[in-house]
Amino acid sequence: MKTNQSSSLLKLIILALMVTISLVLFFLNFPLPFLPAYLKIDFSDIPALMASLVFSPMAGVVVVGIKNALYLLISGAGDPIGVAANFLAGVMFVVPVSMLYHRFKGVKSVVSGLVTGTVIMAVGMSVLNYLFILPAYSWFMGWDMSAQAMWIAVIAGVLPFNMIKGIVIGLLFVPLFIKMRVWIEQKQEKFAA
Amino acid sequence: MNNALIIGQYVPGNSLVHRLDPRTKITIIFFFVIVVFVANNVPSYGIVTAFALGAMFTSRVPIRYILKGLTPVWFLIIFTFILHLFVTKEGTLFFDFFIFEFYTGGVIQGFAISLRFFLLILVTSLLTLTTTPIEITDAIEEMLDPLKKVRFPVHELALMMSISLRFIPTLMQETEKISKAQSSRGVDFRTGPIKERIKAVVPLLVPLFVSAFKRAEELAMAMEARGYQGGEGRSKLRALKVEKRDILIYLLFAAVVAGLFITRSYG
Repeated sequence: MKTNQSSSLLKLIILALMVTISLVLFFLNFPLPFLPAYLKIDFSDIPALMASLVFSPMAGVVVVGIKNALYLLISGAGDPIGVAANFLAGVMFVVPVSMLYHRFKGVKSVVSGLVTGTVIMAVGMSVLNYLFILPAYSWFMGWDMSAQAMWIAVIAGVLPFNMIKGIVIGLLFVPLFIKMRVWIEQKQEKFAA
Repeated sequence: MNNALIIGQYVPGNSLVHRLDPRTKITIIFFFVIVVFVANNVPSYGIVTAFALGAMFTSRVPIRYILKGLTPVWFLIIFTFILHLFVTKEGTLFFDFFIFEFYTGGVIQGFAISLRFFLLILVTSLLTLTTTPIEITDAIEEMLDPLKKVRFPVHELALMMSISLRFIPTLMQETEKISKAQSSRGVDFRTGPIKERIKAVVPLLVPLFVSAFKRAEELAMAMEARGYQGGEGRSKLRALKVEKRDILIYLLFAAVVAGLFITRSYG
């Protein structure tokens, strides 16, 4: 009866440390040379992907969520809308990868998951930006953004940015997964038992 | 940068603002952010500005720290001001040169919105300047306590947040150590085509993940050995207590809000 409690505590701590790695990687972000500076690429979704493969899609969502909450505390809460956007993007990216992986297993499922995740994130963030995030910013700052201006911002900024972000993370995650596959499967067995 | 990640922007001090209960600070800031949007004329903007600047001066945080916190948004503030200067065509024309036509309405509008934005950033960054992330985590745990009734794992969430904050310096060091070890073997993170650079990160992440799992096992065992059994009936090292000063600040803030609504309607 005690083993049950112990493994759930261990799971909590593992997720907490994934958040830490996520934050460390978050602060190593770099802007892309040809896109606006506020769109930054970072590898902070990698630990969330890892958690979601070892445990469940929900674990990945928890890691992304707490990472953003702590980022807000550390950075001084200057940009709550950006943080919320990052959370939503992370969820849309991580969940498809994890769901496909847990359904089919293997490298192929991860690759197809990353592709699906990238598309869902890019399209989803474009829609959310057009409907909610950009209007929220323009309300916040008192700008009058025309529908056309927002359309341009989405097509020229948000859509390609999220595509590139997904591809870059995928380029890193696939070799990482191939190297760590055995280890990940071991951990899965350990926590499933 | 290392330091910024470890303690956030926290500037140690012993001022009234530092000593306030973090729950008080979070509550007041939450409502301040809403109430700033109520201001619509000179006296009401005066009241919110006076409150924010008053909080800033009583915190005795050196101005340069506050300005440093504002650096990422300076550009936005100035941009908003200039945008309004050009776009808003209300009031009287006071400056006309070639294609530049500036109206008084634009200046006022731009100034008001920039001021509002500045106040929002100032007050929220005061929270992180005078409160450590751990204190904020404790406060969040207390404030979310009612959610336990709907089985939301409040204690677990707070536990994860504090563990995660606690391990930032440790894992930061470890990342540095691993990347130095890889560099000494000739791995190059800085030059070369972007694809190669991305691939160079893989050998950095593998040991990071493996050691994080090991560390987690050790910590879980250590906690269990000391009798950790979840949040039920657990006492705290730093218990939060509402003091007289917290109540006074609440009253002051209530007065500010009342004043704001009065000046808004009669101003």
